[in-house]
Amino acid sequence: MSEPIGQAPLLDVRQLEVVYHDVATAVQGVSIEVAPGSIVAMIGTNGAGKTTTLRAVSGFLPAEDVAVTDGTISFGGQSLRSLLPHQISRLGVVLVPEREKLFQTLTVHENLDFSLTRARQPIRDAVYDYFPRLAERRKQVAGYLSGGEKQMLALGMALVCEPKLLLVDELSLGLAPIVTSEIMTILQTINRNLGLAMLIVEQNAAAALRVASFGYVMESGRVVFKGEAEKLLKHQDMREFYLGDRKAGSYRNVRQYARKRRWWG
Amino acid sequence: MELFVSILALGSTYALLAAGIVIIYKASRVVNFAHGELAIVGAYVFHSAGFVTGASLSAPSLLITIAISAIGSALFGVLIYFSLMRRLLGRPTFVAAMVTIGLAIILKAGIVVIWQSRSVGIAIGRQALFNFAGGGRITWIDLVSILACIALFAALAGFFQYTRLGRQFRGAAENPLLAAQRQVNINLILALAWAFAVFSATLAGVLFGSRSMLSPQSTIIGLSGLTAALVGGLDSLRGAAIGGVLVAAATYLTARLISPTLAEAVPFLILLAVMCWRPWGLFGTVEELNRV
Amino acid sequence: MTTNSPYLHVSYAETNRVLVEPYQRIVVAAIVAAIVCLPFVAGGYFLHLMNLCSIAVIGAVGINLLTGYCGQLSLGQASFLAIGAFTTAILSQRFGVPFFLAIPASCCAGAVVGFVVGLPALRFRGIYLAITTLAMHYAIIYVLTNYQAIVGPSASAGISVPAPSLGGFTLNSERGWFYVLLIVAALVVMFALNLSRTYIGRAWVAIRDRDIAAETCGINVPRYKLLAFTISAALAALAGSLGAYFTTVVTVEEYTLELAIVYLAMIIVGGMGSVIGSVLGAVFITLLPFGVGRVFEAFPWQLGTTAFGVQQAAIGVAIIGFLLFEPDGLIEIYRRIATYFERWPFRYRELRAGGSR
Repeated sequence: MSEPIGQAPLLDVRQLEVVYHDVATAVQGVSIEVAPGSIVAMIGTNGAGKTTTLRAVSGFLPAEDVAVTDGTISFGGQSLRSLLPHQISRLGVVLVPEREKLFQTLTVHENLDFSLTRARQPIRDAVYDYFPRLAERRKQVAGYLSGGEKQMLALGMALVCEPKLLLVDELSLGLAPIVTSEIMTILQTINRNLGLAMLIVEQNAAAALRVASFGYVMESGRVVFKGEAEKLLKHQDMREFYLGDRKAGSYRNVRQYARKRRWWG
Repeated sequence: MELFVSILALGSTYALLAAGIVIIYKASRVVNFAHGELAIVGAYVFHSAGFVTGASLSAPSLLITIAISAIGSALFGVLIYFSLMRRLLGRPTFVAAMVTIGLAIILKAGIVVIWQSRSVGIAIGRQALFNFAGGGRITWIDLVSILACIALFAALAGFFQYTRLGRQFRGAAENPLLAAQRQVNINLILALAWAFAVFSATLAGVLFGSRSMLSPQSTIIGLSGLTAALVGGLDSLRGAAIGGVLVAAATYLTARLISPTLAEAVPFLILLAVMCWRPWGLFGTVEELNRV
Repeated sequence: MTTNSPYLHVSYAETNRVLVEPYQRIVVAAIVAAIVCLPFVAGGYFLHLMNLCSIAVIGAVGINLLTGYCGQLSLGQASFLAIGAFTTAILSQRFGVPFFLAIPASCCAGAVVGFVVGLPALRFRGIYLAITTLAMHYAIIYVLTNYQAIVGPSASAGISVPAPSLGGFTLNSERGWFYVLLIVAALVVMFALNLSRTYIGRAWVAIRDRDIAAETCGINVPRYKLLAFTISAALAALAGSLGAYFTTVVTVEEYTLELAIVYLAMIIVGGMGSVIGSVLGAVFITLLPFGVGRVFEAFPWQLGTTAFGVQQAAIGVAIIGFLLFEPDGLIEIYRRIATYFERWPFRYRELRAGGSR
């Protein structure tokens, strides 16, 4: 299992442990690294702990009575664990949440202007270039946009905050596959143009691994596998359990087939 | 005509109270039950400040009194936020509402302790501006009430619609956590909301105190303010203004035409009616009524 | 066969036990014995305070069933107390009804009013419900104020209530009241404890936590909400009625919104959703003003007329303090200590369904 080589990682999470309400351990011993300028994907089914890890990094958890009980989170050498959400955001770690990702009662223009400063105006104009559909709907109240447009707006709002690391939570949720691949392609373009590092949490493993350079697979709160994206796409266990490449056969074959995931090599 | 002006003057007092309640609700979805007490405490402070600076109608000392009260009330609002309300972020909003009830108790007891429950009046601007043939009159203070109210509401409307801070305010009211992530300082917004609310409450209290005597029992105007806010919609400033005038009209007309004792019952009768027919008020956003 | 384990139950009787550990039974027996012997060692003033506490306990248990268990935030407690007191006053003074009929009649009156006040509850939750109950409170008090002005000897003198008597025995000593109120309060507490352990109590907790989910589970939410209002108002009316007999005069001025908030303070301080918490909170809040007064007496400066204000402020400080720092109330402090000793060296108690542990 190889790791990103070379420079020090931009985001370095080590041995993270998150406990819900003193009762349920959501994430245990998770270590994630994001190299500068790369796109890293976190894959897993529901309840694997991916969203929890992302929210731990962006400082949302104390507001929900969830405690980070162990581990370190450092961004560019600075620890994020005791900082408030707006402090983390000002450092450059910006989260696009899974739900409640924009202000429904404000218009598209007002949403994008939310964190605007004079220096950030060119970025805001660039957002309209990346997402032409938003430019058409500048004055529309955000609550009335379609799902794909809402996701674009949420990404645009995050970009206006001048992120150094973009955390995207479940981009494809509720979106048609064609819209998902459109937005993923735009993300890849942004990554190449700006050199913006991204950490993407996805259930749609295929779509995520197509744009990412490195991937982590999570199950039940732990990282069970990691590797470069091409390697993951070819790995036997990944193909079978996450990418839908089941060996076709008769029903009898499928029923008797209960291979345990081994995650070797 | 005199009836009209009196209703408008009383309505501007209620509208100012309602505006404070609405601002806090817009910012944090918390209903402030201590608003009446804040208004009366502010009025007592104004009265005492006037005592200290020797204010009569002479301009400089009056201005100093006004400045002290205005700045003091805003600072008190910030103090309330940072000491009490900030710790309640993230908890259900009815917990914060109960804390405001506790605050109301302390403030009312504070009036009893500090000012020994004396009834005081603020004798400013009571001279007649305009006398009518039938014996009615409009006083300076009526005019000031109405003008101050209009000015304040106009400023607020402009603030929310056209300034970036106002837009951040609206966004933070809808989703505080997201606003925090988008680099808006939530504490700043909420502290501003509370500062403004206490300031407008003090203004309302002073205007009220210049028309009637103040006593610890006067805190009941908080109920009228809350009714006005509910009639207009808890998150609508436009509603606060209109609600204030409506409640004032109903109370005044009932007192004049039917009986003064029934007029005391008017605010909660209106409250009952609003709850039965249109709980979200005239202009409020129709929340699902299961907002806790 | 029984085991004394709180985890392993081998019979239905064991799952229904209130006092699970053996030491709890010993402690409760000791407390009961101490309380029963109290009148023989304590003076009249102390017994008077205890009587006030007992009446408060009845009312606090009532509102805890409504707000703590069922989650319906209600500011109308004072009006229910007033209904009970006034019904008793009218029945016993005007119609000469004996106390053993007047008290149940007051409870019924309270139940009816509670039902009516509960009807808007089916539409609202949270703050809007509190505001609706507030409006109802003012409406009821307004009606009673006008009644008192018409009927009473003067507008604010109130209605006097004769002391309850049965045969030749009249209840007007502190010691006699102590035992009567103690028994009634104990019965009310046991009633509430049992109620919380039955289907009704569990339905209330389900409604409090997620009433939409409760409805999909088949709980008739409107019926149980109304039941909560009815029972809570009946208990409050019982407290008001006993208070009327105890103080022998009923004035509407004492049933203010502050009184409703004092009762809310009792359950906030004691612990919402816990019957024992209501008892603790009721005793704490009832004794708090006297305690504050005693503390200030020890100081050199005299408070004089402002003493009342300081006592009121103390209740506000208690509300805010507990809401900020100990939102689960005094009962939570007790549970933490008990857990530490019972479960050492382990830290956590097992999770039990139903919201109460």
